[in-house]
This record gives sequence, C-alpha cells and structure tokens, in this order.
Amino acid sequence: MLLKHYIPHSHEDEKIILLLRRHWFIILRKLLLWAVVAIMPVLFYLLAFDIIEPLFAGGLTRPLFVLFVSVYYLYTWLFAFHSFVDYYLDVWIVTNKRIINIEQKGLFVRHVSEQKLHRVQDVTAELKGIFSTLLDYGTVYIQTAGEQARFVFKEVPRPQEVAKKVIKMSEQEKRFQHLLEQNDDIHTETV
Amino acid sequence: MTAGIPLALLYYLYLAFILVFLLFTLFNLYHLVRFGFLTIGNIVMIGAYLLGTIAMLLLSWQYISQIDWTATIPIIQLGVPGI
Repeated sequence: MLLKHYIPHSHEDEKIILLLRRHWFIILRKLLLWAVVAIMPVLFYLLAFDIIEPLFAGGLTRPLFVLFVSVYYLYTWLFAFHSFVDYYLDVWIVTNKRIINIEQKGLFVRHVSEQKLHRVQDVTAELKGIFSTLLDYGTVYIQTAGEQARFVFKEVPRPQEVAKKVIKMSEQEKRFQHLLEQNDDIHTETV
Repeated sequence: MTAGIPLALLYYLYLAFILVFLLFTLFNLYHLVRFGFLTIGNIVMIGAYLLGTIAMLLLSWQYISQIDWTATIPIIQLGVPGI
C-alpha cells in the first residue's frame, strides 16, 4: 500500500482503516483569512487614492512602497502556505492494530503518539457550533488505558461515524487479544 | 552640503527579509516532502506555491530594478549654501 510507509514502524499485517485530517472547512477558513489580509491594502489604496498618490511623488516614498508591498505579499503568501502545511501534516490514523496521532506544531515540533486498539476504553464524538453541525465535523475523544490517557481527533469530518468505527475495531481487537491469551494459557498447560 | 544615508541600506534590509522568506519556504517544503503524503493534492500545492513565489519575486524585481539604489536619503544640511 502506498500510504503504508507513512505509518511509524508499521507491522507486516497492519492495514490502514481510517486516515483523518481536519475538515476542509478549517483550511478554507484560514486561507480566506489570508485572502482578506492580501486584499486589505488594495482596498485601502483604492479608497484613499487621493491622499496616498501625492506621497509617491517623493524620492524616498516610492522605493519604500515597492519594498514594503513586495515583503508584505511574499510573507502573506508564505503564512498562507504554512497554514496549509500545518493542516496537511496533522493526521490521525486508525489501523487494524492501533491509533496513531501525528501533530505538527509550528515548523520545529512534531508530535507522534500511538496506542494499541485493544486498550481503548471509551470513545466520544462531539459536534459544537453552527458550522460544525451543518458541515458535520467535530472532535472525537478516545480514552485509553495507556500513558497518554486521551487521544483527540480534532475537527475531523463525520465524527460520529469515526467514533462508531473506532469502537467496532477496538472490540474486534479485544476479542482477538482475548483469544490469543486463551490460546497461550492452553499452550502453557499442555507444556 | 547634505549628509544622508544610502538608499541601498533599504535594499539590503529587503534582501535580509527575502533570505528569511526563502529559509522558511525551504523548511515548509522540507516538511511537506519528508512527512507529507505523496498525493496529487500535495504535489499541486507545492507546485502552485513555487509558481506563485517565482511570479511574485519576478514582479518585485521588475519594480526594484527601476529604482536608483546609489542615491542617498538626505537627513541634515551641513553649512550654509552660497557662503
């Protein structure tokens, strides 16, 4: 599978069941904000044209204006791209064996944690707010018995469906683990 | 006689901003290539970003190259002219 090498130390028989990112509305909202930041100086220039135009007649103001506009738009472009990188690299993966939480925090912090599916204790889906309800995205809280007690899938699409799937997978894995333990017990008794 | 600061100082300051911009661009691209998924969406975004960046830098250069960077910005007038 093409995606398999993205799973940290993946096992032979491990399959990706869910690969989740935040809902598309989250990145759209951020990109729209950067679009507003880009449009604002143009609007300001058009509205205050009569006041601004004479200022550019001076010897210093024109070079300053050119450099400022160039830096402003390059950095707006960079920050918009960084918003996409931040969105794209936050991934939650559910395989048939475990849950993996990969979060990119800024440019220099990358947080990867995982938990075995059979250690899942409780799964809760939460939809909060108008957009969340209308577009069906929300947060899924996964309570586990491990060191990192809670996994949070933030603003993922169809949270209730995701929660159901995680519960189903976890129960299957628990049954499988139980059978393995029974098999081990029988084996040690015969030895 | 007029004392002033060279306009080229602004240009060097601008170049410093561009250097930081390019560094952060590299960090972002590295993250996408190293940790991102090889999907069409990812490749399209990287391509679009690079095209946009090149277009903006070329457009900036068009305006910047028209400015005389050897000029100075007058700040104080030394002496009285004509005496």
